[in-house]
Amino acid sequence: MELLIQTLVAGVLLGGVYALVSVGLNLLFGVVRVINFAHGEFVMVGMYLAFWLWAGLGMDPYVSLLIVAPAMFLLGVIFQRGIIQPIQGTSANMKIFVTVGISIILQNLALFLWGGQYRTVSTSYSTSVFTLGGVTISVGRLIAFIGALVLVAALFYIMNRTMTGTVLRAIAEDGPTAVLVGIPVKKFYFVATGISVMLAGVAGVMLTPFTSASPTFGFHMTLIAFIVVVIGGMGSMVGSLVGGVLLGAIETLAGTYISPALQQAVLFAIFIIVVLVRPQGLFGKGAGTEEVGLK
Amino acid sequence: MKRSYLIIGVVVLALLAFLPLIIGQYLLNNAVLIVMFVGITVAWNIAAFGGALSLGHAAFFGLGSYTMAILLLDFGVNPWIGMLAGMVVAAGGGLLLSIPLLRLRGPFFTLASIAFAEVIRLVAVYARDFTGGSEGLTIPYAPGWLNMSFSDREPYYYIVLGLTAIAVLVSVWIYYSRVGYQLRASGSDDEATRALGVNTAVLKVVALVISAALTGAFGAFAAQYFFIVDPETNFSLNLYSIQPALNGIIGGAGTVLGPILGAVLMTPIGEYMRGAFAGQQGLNFMIYGVVLVGVVMLMPGGLVSGIEKLRARFRRKRGAGRRTDTTAALNESRTEDRL
Repeated sequence: MELLIQTLVAGVLLGGVYALVSVGLNLLFGVVRVINFAHGEFVMVGMYLAFWLWAGLGMDPYVSLLIVAPAMFLLGVIFQRGIIQPIQGTSANMKIFVTVGISIILQNLALFLWGGQYRTVSTSYSTSVFTLGGVTISVGRLIAFIGALVLVAALFYIMNRTMTGTVLRAIAEDGPTAVLVGIPVKKFYFVATGISVMLAGVAGVMLTPFTSASPTFGFHMTLIAFIVVVIGGMGSMVGSLVGGVLLGAIETLAGTYISPALQQAVLFAIFIIVVLVRPQGLFGKGAGTEEVGLK
Repeated sequence: MKRSYLIIGVVVLALLAFLPLIIGQYLLNNAVLIVMFVGITVAWNIAAFGGALSLGHAAFFGLGSYTMAILLLDFGVNPWIGMLAGMVVAAGGGLLLSIPLLRLRGPFFTLASIAFAEVIRLVAVYARDFTGGSEGLTIPYAPGWLNMSFSDREPYYYIVLGLTAIAVLVSVWIYYSRVGYQLRASGSDDEATRALGVNTAVLKVVALVISAALTGAFGAFAAQYFFIVDPETNFSLNLYSIQPALNGIIGGAGTVLGPILGAVLMTPIGEYMRGAFAGQQGLNFMIYGVVLVGVVMLMPGGLVSGIEKLRARFRRKRGAGRRTDTTAALNESRTEDRL
């Protein structure tokens, strides 16, 4: 019983970060209508930025957020302008392979520049834990979880209570009409992609105190984020949050009770089953899913 | 058109058969790899005729390798029969992947195919008693045609050349058959094709199963060529899922010539980069990404469509403006690009 609770707590904490990565992917899909296979790679870039700021300048990962977050937003804007914008009017298949190409470039650029070894940030609190009612909780993971929740809540607020969010939702609902009523849609695409990439990068930074950076880490995160978005439902922010936590819990439960070697196999199997049985996801409204390939 | 293709094919094959007499063992290794990747890419492309862009073909490749290796090591089955068995098992894998194929489109089929291949890879790592876990299996060295095992590279070259010729033949035959036309029609507009009374579901499944079986044959060949089968190599996402797909897309997915062109062009570049920058990992594969993004953005439909366009422009100058459309799969929504 104690093992179960311990496992669940670890899983839910990890799931918070998954949710943060996934809301970004979901935002990009909802507003810009691009399925970004390179999304996880931005998590990896965020991790490396945090690592090098720590290794080079001795900067604490949480402090480095002040640099990494705006840098990642800028990277997102460049990504939107240089890569996404030219292919926006094309078929879904083209978008797949352009973003797969970007993912390959970023992954191998990291391998080329920084080598294949694992890069670990060790801070004073990296290994510190505290015990709450018999359950051991890692400080780094708890901070990442809380940080992720705060950011997801902030995104909720922006999307639902501010003018920018209203415009973004309008574009998500009906892009062509948004153009007709005079919304500068291209500008807001920059905002959406910028936020999406920034959230991925920030998630990467928050992972660094307890996870090593490596070039292939991003691909793993892309798959996770896709599974979360599919389980939670395309375009549903709440779905991504619930899906992320659920997936984190399932992953750690599978690792403890089945086998660490099959942890990911279980996730992928669940992904295939969910996609076949309920393609619109748990919270999906089904809107816009047809054009990206979900019936 | 078809007959001229056949003549060109026979001539090219005859010329390639003399290649080992000209080049040395080191270059012959490259030739084997290039011919193998041409075959794998052509096999991958058969599924792409119907619009299915899979990133899970490593599963079929690995299933072919492992089936042959396990049958040989545990049951003493002859590798040639093992290769056929590998094709059958890979075809079974294709049948399994056709469940998501029929339910999902576009990116979600692509994702499901990645997940499918990863599950099989992880199971191969896990089922240690059967597969040797992450250390893999070693194929015993027992030279002779009966054992498909040789000390020189020439026999391997002829075997892989034969396999690839079969794959190309199957691909050409499907492309120009009634089934192929229906398949390609379904790739560019599935609903319209179904409305015409074509059972596209069966066609897509058949194409995927054939594609999987051919990929499995190359997997079995690779097991004999490299003498080792392990999950990180034979189920490698980069090598056998992404690389064939990229070759195909760069050359022109859904065409006959595109995948051949893509693999012939990209495999040596990758090999050269791997050799020239041996200390610098990642560079060879990064080139793949750059070429992919460049080609897809500049000439959607791949190199073949780029060449077609140039030819069409040339022909129009001379007064005849006939264009043969070979690139339906990728640029369906770029109708403004059509001449």
